[in-house]
Amino acid sequence: MGFVQFKGVTKTFGKSVAVDTMDLDIARGEFFSLLGPSGCGKSTTLRMLAGFVAPSTGSIHVHGRDITRLPPEARDIGIVFQNYAIFPHMTVFDNIAFGLVERGENRADIKRKVDAALDQVGLGGFGERFERQLSGGQKQRVALARVLVIEPEILLLDEPLSALDKKMREEMKFWIKNIQKSVGITTIYVTHDQSEALTMSDRIAVMNQGRILQVGSPVEIYERPNSRFIAEFIGESNLLSGRLTAGGVRVGDTVVPAAQAQGADGAEVALLIRPEQIRLEPVTEGEAPMLTGRVADEVYQGALRRYQVETGGQTVTVEVPNRPDLAQLPPGAEVALYWTPESGVALR
Amino acid sequence: MTERRIPLVLAILAILGFAYMLLPIVVVVLAGLTAGEFLTFPPQGLSLRWVAAFLSSEKYLSSFFFSFKLALMTMIVSTILGTAAALFLSRTNMVGRAAMRAFFLSPVVLPGVVVGFALFAFYISTGIGLSRTIWGLWIGHILYSTPYVIGTVGAALAAYDTSLEEAARSLGASPWRAFRKVTLPNISQGIQAGSIFAFIVSFGQFEVSLFLSSPNSEPLPIAMYNSLRYQFDPSAAAAGIFAITLVIASVLLTNRLVNLRTLLERRQDGS
Repeated sequence: MGFVQFKGVTKTFGKSVAVDTMDLDIARGEFFSLLGPSGCGKSTTLRMLAGFVAPSTGSIHVHGRDITRLPPEARDIGIVFQNYAIFPHMTVFDNIAFGLVERGENRADIKRKVDAALDQVGLGGFGERFERQLSGGQKQRVALARVLVIEPEILLLDEPLSALDKKMREEMKFWIKNIQKSVGITTIYVTHDQSEALTMSDRIAVMNQGRILQVGSPVEIYERPNSRFIAEFIGESNLLSGRLTAGGVRVGDTVVPAAQAQGADGAEVALLIRPEQIRLEPVTEGEAPMLTGRVADEVYQGALRRYQVETGGQTVTVEVPNRPDLAQLPPGAEVALYWTPESGVALR
Repeated sequence: MTERRIPLVLAILAILGFAYMLLPIVVVVLAGLTAGEFLTFPPQGLSLRWVAAFLSSEKYLSSFFFSFKLALMTMIVSTILGTAAALFLSRTNMVGRAAMRAFFLSPVVLPGVVVGFALFAFYISTGIGLSRTIWGLWIGHILYSTPYVIGTVGAALAAYDTSLEEAARSLGASPWRAFRKVTLPNISQGIQAGSIFAFIVSFGQFEVSLFLSSPNSEPLPIAMYNSLRYQFDPSAAAAGIFAITLVIASVLLTNRLVNLRTLLERRQDGS
C-alpha cells in the first residue's frame, strides 16, 4: 500500500477539469516526480496534497489516514514554492524558525535546530540576512531549510529550479537529490523539465490534460513510453509511421523488430527510435541494417554531429558522437542505419 | 548615485503646478496672520492676534477637538472595515466581485452633497434617532473614508504574494496566525497610508457634515463656514492654519514612519 495515495481525485474549476479521476500510489522515501506541460494539472495535484485546494471528488490518504479535509497546518507536509516564498519581513533565521515557533518549541531548541539547518544547507552565518540580500540559489536553500527543519513526513517541491539560471540549475539538481537521499524524506517534485525529472526521480508520473498517462522509473519512461505524447515530450524522438506485422513493424518495405508490437496485424503504429541509439555507417556487404537511406543534412554541434537521413520518404534524426574513428558522412551519402532490436518501440 | 537631470521645461511646469496648488494655502496662512480687522489679502501687517483669538474662542477650539476626535474615531473604524473589505475583494472568486468593488468605492465618486442628503433623509424618515447626533455623523464619515482604505490596502494586497501565507500555513500556522505574522506585516504600509487618508478625509469633510452635524457638535469645516457666513473675520483663516498644520503633521508623521523603515532596510542591504 502506498504511503501517499490519491483515490479517484478530481478537481474542477468551473467547467474546466484540472485533475481527472486520479489514482496514485507513492511509496515511503520515494523521490516521485509529476512531469507534464504547463496546465496539465500537476501543480493542482500538489496543491491538493498540501491542502491549499480541496478536491472536488475523491480522497487523499497519507499513511492510511484520510487527510482530504485537513487544513494545511495539520498535514505535516512541507512545501517549497517556485518563487521560494521567503518571508521578506523576517531574517533568514526567523524564516527557518517559523515552523518551530508555531510548534511551540523552546528558544534553545529552536536556536540549535535552526543553526543545524543553516549548516545543512551550507548557509552558516547567513542567519541575520534578509531575503533581498540573497541570491536565487541561496533563497532556494533557505526555503528548503525552512521546510526540513520541522521534519515533515512529506516534502513537496513546486518547480523549484525554474527561477534559476542554467548553471545553478544543474548544481541544485544534484544538491536537492543528495539532501533528499540523506534525509530519506518522501518527496514529490513537480516540473515541466524532463531532464530534471529523469535525473532526480525514483519514479515519474507523466501527466497531460489532468490525467496520468504513465507511471514508471526514468528508464521505463524514456525507453518504454506508452504513448506518442510521452515519446515526444521526453527527450528527442524519431517516430516513423508503419504498420504492425508479425515480428515487428513494417516501415516502407522493411520489417523492423519492435517492443510493444502487440495488436491487430496491419494496425497503424509509430515506431520510436531515439536519435542517439542509432548507429550510422556507409553501406557495405555484411551485417543487414535495420533501414537504409541517404544523408540529407549534417549539423556539427561540437560534442556530436546531427544527421538527417531520408529513408523511404521519412526523415530520421541521428546523433553521432563526435569521435575521430567514426566515419564522417557528407550529405548525399548512402548510409545504413543500425540499432539493437530493443531500441525500437511500437506506439499507437 | 547618478545625477538625474530634469528637463528645464518640466521643471518650470512642476514649479507652476505646485505654486497653483499651494498659493491658496499661503493666502490663508498669511490672512490668518493679519494685524487688520478684516479677512484681506495681502495682510495689513503681521500679528498673532487672530491666532490668539482662535485659541481663546471656545467655539473654534471645541469644533477643532470635535473634528479631531471624529477623525480619529472614523480612522479606526474605516481602517478595520476597509482592510477587511479589501481582503475579501482580493480573495473571493465570487461572481459580481467587480461590481461589489465598484459599489464599495462609490461614496468617493458620488457627490458629497448627495451622500449627505441621502443619509439625512434616511435618518429622518426612518426615525432611528441618528439625525443630528455624533453617531449619525460618524457613520457618514466612515462611509466616506472607508473607500480610501480599501483602495490603498487593495493596492498593497495586489502586490502581495499569497504563497507567503500558504507557506506559513503549511509550516503549521493557523489562518489567523498566518495572517497576523505574515500577511499583516507585508501589507502594513498600505494600511498605514489608508488610515492616514481616512483621518485627513474625515477631518476635512464638509458636505456630509453639513447635513449631519448639529449646532452643539460642529466639525471645524462647518464652524469655519458658519463663522464666515456672518462675520468675515480672520479667525476663520487662523483656524485654517491649525487645520493645515494638523494635516501636514499627520502626513509627515506617516511619511517618517514609512521612510524610517525603508531607511533601516537600506542600511541592512549595504552591510
